[in-house]
Amino acid sequence: MEEIKTGFGNHVVQYSAEYSFCAGCNSCEAICGLVHDAVVSPSYSRLFVKRGGTRDMVCHIVSCQHCLDHPCYESCPKQGEAMCIDENGIVYVDEEACIGCGKCVSACKFDPPRINMAKGEKKKFWKAKKCDLCRTRPEGPACVEYCPVRCLGLDTAAQGDVKDPEVTEKLVLNTSVGGVDFA
Amino acid sequence: MPNYTARDILDNPLNTLRLQGYVGKILRIKLTEQTTEIVSTYDYVPKYLGGRELCNKIFWDEVPAGTDCFDPGNKLIYMTGATTATGVPTGGRTEMTGIAANNLPTQYSFSGIGGWIGAEFKFAGYDGIIIEGKAPEHTYVVIDDDKVEFKSADELWGLKVHDTQKALIDMHGVDFKCMVIGPAGEHLVRNASITTSNDNVMAKSGFGAVFGSKNLKAIICRGTGVVPVADVKKVLELRLEMGSPFMRPSPVQPQDRQGLPGSDAKGEWVRGNISCSYGCNQHCNCLMMGTNSVFTDEKINHVEKCVSPFAYGFVTDVPNNMAANWMTKQNHMQPCKLLSREFPAPDPTDPYFEEINKPILPDVFDFWKPDFEKGNLINELCNEYGIDKWDMIIWILPWFAMGQKEGVFDDMDLGMPVDVESSEFVSAIIEQMVYRSSEMGNLLAEGMARATRALGKEKFADTIYHGRRSQMLPGSPQVDLPISMETAWGHSFHWQGRGFEASISKPTWLATTIELMTSSRDMQTIEHHHDQYEKYLEIVADPYNSQVLVDSIIMNEQKGEMKDSVTCCDWQSPDLWWTSMEAEMYAAATGYPMTEQELAQSADRSKLLYRAILIRNFNRDRDMEVGAVWPGICIPDSWGEVADWDGFNKLVDRYYETRGWDKATSWPYRETWEKYGLGDIADEMEQIGKLPLRP
Ligand code: SF4
Ligand code: SF4
Ligand code: SF4
Repeated sequence: MEEIKTGFGNHVVQYSAEYSFCAGCNSCEAICGLVHDAVVSPSYSRLFVKRGGTRDMVCHIVSCQHCLDHPCYESCPKQGEAMCIDENGIVYVDEEACIGCGKCVSACKFDPPRINMAKGEKKKFWKAKKCDLCRTRPEGPACVEYCPVRCLGLDTAAQGDVKDPEVTEKLVLNTSVGGVDFA
Repeated sequence: MPNYTARDILDNPLNTLRLQGYVGKILRIKLTEQTTEIVSTYDYVPKYLGGRELCNKIFWDEVPAGTDCFDPGNKLIYMTGATTATGVPTGGRTEMTGIAANNLPTQYSFSGIGGWIGAEFKFAGYDGIIIEGKAPEHTYVVIDDDKVEFKSADELWGLKVHDTQKALIDMHGVDFKCMVIGPAGEHLVRNASITTSNDNVMAKSGFGAVFGSKNLKAIICRGTGVVPVADVKKVLELRLEMGSPFMRPSPVQPQDRQGLPGSDAKGEWVRGNISCSYGCNQHCNCLMMGTNSVFTDEKINHVEKCVSPFAYGFVTDVPNNMAANWMTKQNHMQPCKLLSREFPAPDPTDPYFEEINKPILPDVFDFWKPDFEKGNLINELCNEYGIDKWDMIIWILPWFAMGQKEGVFDDMDLGMPVDVESSEFVSAIIEQMVYRSSEMGNLLAEGMARATRALGKEKFADTIYHGRRSQMLPGSPQVDLPISMETAWGHSFHWQGRGFEASISKPTWLATTIELMTSSRDMQTIEHHHDQYEKYLEIVADPYNSQVLVDSIIMNEQKGEMKDSVTCCDWQSPDLWWTSMEAEMYAAATGYPMTEQELAQSADRSKLLYRAILIRNFNRDRDMEVGAVWPGICIPDSWGEVADWDGFNKLVDRYYETRGWDKATSWPYRETWEKYGLGDIADEMEQIGKLPLRP
């Protein structure tokens, strides 16, 4: 992963297993699709439950880190129309204008990339699905609100400080309890 | 093509009611021909809800009498619910039906499963699958959205469950979800399970053996499409209301023991509470992390629930109280709260508080001493070989324990001493069963009910175990129990007043016995009996003549059919003070304005379809039903009480009459079939001479 130059904005994080252990229910993915598109689909969720192996079964959540240098936004050929920045600095997708080129996905600094692609109404077009922190929901991020075990939170503390992309996520994941490693 | 947008589903010309929640297609997998066909879901819904009701309808239509479990003509029908993958809590539960390998006599039965594969089928565009025929060689099926391939399973055959899952993921990628069998299914062991992720299994009906008989090792699926949801606002409300209060943060917790109090074994592990299925709002499964493995030097994790704690030690049975079955408005909770340790605060101002919370002490069995590593071994072997843990932990091993103490194996040579305290014995006997590699192993592979009959029922089933002691009577007296532990339909006791989970009141065991009677398998996994304590007080003086008890039984049966058809989880439904919950779940997902009464009607229709199959294909009648459950309730309960023949038959009369079924034969009258829109079944019953006339 390349170094992120300018740190991260507010973003959804998974808390440490010592605080609350992800139940692996996929509700966060489902809720994300529901509040944005009234569908449930692995192609529509803007965060991802990475299920552990068949023997491990520990789940990790990966989500958009809202990089302050937003390479996804920078790469968008329809910058300002499809990939936009709101008054709070949140990078979001206006799907009407999205041409489904996938450049944002390739530009995302993270592996796996934190932007999803779903086929749009007119089948030939794909649409980018990116976390917008539920910017139009007065209650805030729906995944955080509806995680049954409250293991998701909105990280507002690390912004601007942390430069290593590995670190923003590991901040909350490098924990070991009773000899079992959850990192 | 899968449904990429909600419009694909709403604009489907067959979807005349513009239903959401469903995705529109059922995939027929023809193993013999290695081809597939698409069946429209809208041929059936919403009349036949989905889940088990839809399975029942398809089986009734497609599988004639005379078909046996291992015949290629047996069909396994797997259905999701309209709520699966819609965000409606617990909708991730799914159902499979077919002729079961593990009941006696062989009959049509069902099995539920959680996991993520049901949701994945819907993302691929399928509400369910019909598996039929027999593959010419070892096969697995790959469903990748609308592309279906039949592949050789030669490389997979023989692999244990997790190795199979890992091999499939290595070959096809982590996005594929799978259902697989282990060596037990391959060897047609009658209690073989089908396993999906997180050690979730369909075990009770032995469908793993049916997979094996069809040369089918696995089905894997990846879907990228959508499930449209009619009422998002309502789904979000349901997520907050169902199973409220909302859960607390759930930290991982280092543990130093496992098992129930009195039977618990010392051992180090880390507990994580996890969900069993897609979109659940609870976490009643336990991820046991950092335990030793039989097969590798590395520490492993495994998922345990329900009966697994007894593997770690089985000295006493499950403690209980009245509130587990009969609740008050002030003090009631969903069982999932119990397993996940999220108990709401009790309300001591309840006038019945003391009565319903008074402990009902469990029977003492002394089957085996606490042993943490042996417990891990038993659970791991069941998970890896793909066998029903229930049968192993609650039935086969207790039978060895009881038989050993009563000396029934003394003149038998098993090539090793019978000793359930020994890990060597336990692991050897499980292995011999799974691979049918010894005479005893081969017998056990036929299921306990068949095995004890083959060995000689009098000695190997009816011999009395003298070690069961009641703690509900002064001085812990002996309450005799045959070593068979067998109840009806080739299954073992479960919340029936004797055998495993014995400590329940007589009205409750009468209810669970009737529920078992009209089924073809253990019903307590889907119909844990629940009702209001006030009703119990009306029933208790004269349960054999209680209409309130009969109505309570029918309500629980309706809820059972509903849970398996809507779909939702037995650990969260019913909520006795929110009786429209399941209808609201269905309506939120589909947009179809389902009322509580209509849903109850649909549940009764599902029960009737099940009954129609049992009557036409498996000669079900009153004598068979009463005969199946009667011996079990002649064994004393924890208070030393047995059932009364005349009283029980009066209760059965009242039950059949309330159902609209003929008392003498137990067959429904024409008007009953027609009331539920099943006039065609009445016609067929008339043709085969099974349509009774009202006397
Ligand atoms: S999509 Fe990727 S690059 Fe863009 S802000 Fe999110 S994490 Fe950063
Ligand atoms: S904050 Fe909103 S948009 Fe972002 S992942 Fe959560 S639900 Fe989706
Ligand atoms: S909703 Fe919470 S518990 Fe469920 S998968 Fe998402 S982060 Fe994990």
